[in-house]
Amino acid sequence: MAAATHGAVQETAVRTNVLARALIYAGLILFAGYYLLPLYVMLVNSVKPLDEIRQGDMMSLPMLFTLEPWRSAWATAQIGVQPTGLRPYFINSILMVVPAVAISTLLGALNGYVLTKWRFRGDGIVFGLLLFACFIPFQIVLIPMARLLGLAGLAGSTPGLVLVHVVYGLGFTTLFFRNYYDAFPTELIRAAQIDGAGFFRIFWRILLPSSGPIIVVTVIWQFTNIWNDFLFGVSFSDVDSQPVTVALNNLVSSSTGVKEYNVHFAGAILAALPTLIVYVVSGRYFVRGLMAGAVKG
Amino acid sequence: MAFLEISDLYKRFGSVEVLKGINLAVEEGGFLVLVGPSGCGKSTLLNTIAGLESITSGEIRINGRVVNNLHPSQRDIAMVFQSYALYPNMTVAQNIAFGMEMRGVPKAEREKAVAEVAKTLQISHLLGRKPSQLSGGQRQRVAMGRALVRNPQVFLFDEPLSNLDAKLRVDMRTEIKRLHQSMKTTIVYVTHDQIEAMTLATQIAVLKDGVLQQFGTPHEIYNNPANIFVADFMGSPAMNLIPARIEANGGGVAVVMTRDGAEPLQLKVGSHSRLGAHAGREVIFGLRPEAITDLSGADRTSPGVVNAECHVEVVEPAGADTYVVTRLGGREVIGRMRSDMQVAPHSTVPFAFNMDKAVFFDPESEFRIA
Repeated sequence: MAAATHGAVQETAVRTNVLARALIYAGLILFAGYYLLPLYVMLVNSVKPLDEIRQGDMMSLPMLFTLEPWRSAWATAQIGVQPTGLRPYFINSILMVVPAVAISTLLGALNGYVLTKWRFRGDGIVFGLLLFACFIPFQIVLIPMARLLGLAGLAGSTPGLVLVHVVYGLGFTTLFFRNYYDAFPTELIRAAQIDGAGFFRIFWRILLPSSGPIIVVTVIWQFTNIWNDFLFGVSFSDVDSQPVTVALNNLVSSSTGVKEYNVHFAGAILAALPTLIVYVVSGRYFVRGLMAGAVKG
Repeated sequence: MAFLEISDLYKRFGSVEVLKGINLAVEEGGFLVLVGPSGCGKSTLLNTIAGLESITSGEIRINGRVVNNLHPSQRDIAMVFQSYALYPNMTVAQNIAFGMEMRGVPKAEREKAVAEVAKTLQISHLLGRKPSQLSGGQRQRVAMGRALVRNPQVFLFDEPLSNLDAKLRVDMRTEIKRLHQSMKTTIVYVTHDQIEAMTLATQIAVLKDGVLQQFGTPHEIYNNPANIFVADFMGSPAMNLIPARIEANGGGVAVVMTRDGAEPLQLKVGSHSRLGAHAGREVIFGLRPEAITDLSGADRTSPGVVNAECHVEVVEPAGADTYVVTRLGGREVIGRMRSDMQVAPHSTVPFAFNMDKAVFFDPESEFRIA
């Protein structure tokens, strides 16, 4: 008897649970669909011939499937005056992003390490100034940065862009690593000191291997920001060092004759693809509890 | 000359003086325990010995060598931290071998040393694991292994047992003592647990507010405390500290304590000749609970046992003993009676006071007077 009552109660609870769950899921699917709609429009229209788009129905699936717009956007479309497609600019972007992300992340980690574990007089002020750098708008640094790049002989080059992004990103990467290392047990550093490890050895052998989650966060943040940057790219690059964002703009705005919407859509997706990939790939390395077991939990 | 010598050590953080003129000396193979309440400077003192904190003035000598300005890795010390501080990204074996790796010891030699230490501590089966896969007690052992493998001149322990549960703590305490007996290496050990201090130490240094209160063997610290703080801090239950008055009594002196609703209690003090000078003065009379017993539980070899009837307020059976609380001089006074004594609360029973164990303090300066 008692068991039966118990079962009945449980069943009711399960049923309400199912109903609530269904409602929650319906709501979530609705929002997800709404959010994914632009991507859907871009995707379906990037695989249609131009004629089909001209008929005016942006939402319908392609009647005639073609990858020609993608090929064109990648390799043959008119960018400015050259019919090169986005490919060379895509490569420019990679040549800029990879060193910029790597250097700014590494320097941020070093800054965080020094600011938390090798405290010095006035370290709070230094950190405050670095933090302040996060709030400086892009536009303010344009002219001083142009002057600096000119003096350094890096104007209009990829290394110049790398420098700009490293400098601009340092505030953020330092902030991330400082906060992460602040919670890192100082006793570990002391133990390593007694074991005879020096400044850089502790950094490489103890700190960095335990920094997985924050490295992933920093890399995603820096990669997305630098890849998507338009203002610095358009201000400080020459034709042979323009990043893909600038090329995409040129593709869309400077086409002579017909506006090839399908090619524009394909190009936009191509330009956004790397950031998507970074999210998907790095997300897997978000391992929580990496620090578990270092100290008594 | 002592093996580890600390002379006139001062440490300031800005304007705050954390250590005020510490003088200590430990013989080779000694086990020095630094004990005191939190914030007394004991961990700072240990860190200065390790070289993790600089000192403001004074001198630290290990085996005759002044180490004031040496880097921690060059002082020939090894340290076990309160949090164990195991490198989370390395296996147990790598953790233990890290120091040797830093010193450039060849790989084969490292592996041999690790295996040896692992065998001593019975952690051989854990060598391939990461710290996160170990229990608290196992982490503790690995942390000790990392120190042992170095074979240093001095071991430093910073509250190594405070993160373990009660039973494991007692086991590890015994193990540390056994290790010390077999290795005969000098150890400096920080704890706030006075029982740990008593059981492990060959010498105890009691600190309070950065001042060394007393330095001596566990026996000295326990039986001859230098001041009220040491008397009160060491021992559990704590020493009874009773406001009292010294009066001349026939040929000798007696200590007189007020009582609620009864005549003041007068206890004759036999052997304290120095106390005569304090006749007529207020003192703090200290007597440990085990010196206040039932009549048949009293120490028969002691000539100074005085019996007196006292009113019992509370009875606390503790298994092996029964603690009986009475009130003297306005303070709760705990006596330790045999567990088979039938004592009822609010009754009046005879107590035996072993006055040979009595200590007396000046209520103003809090220093020992007799």
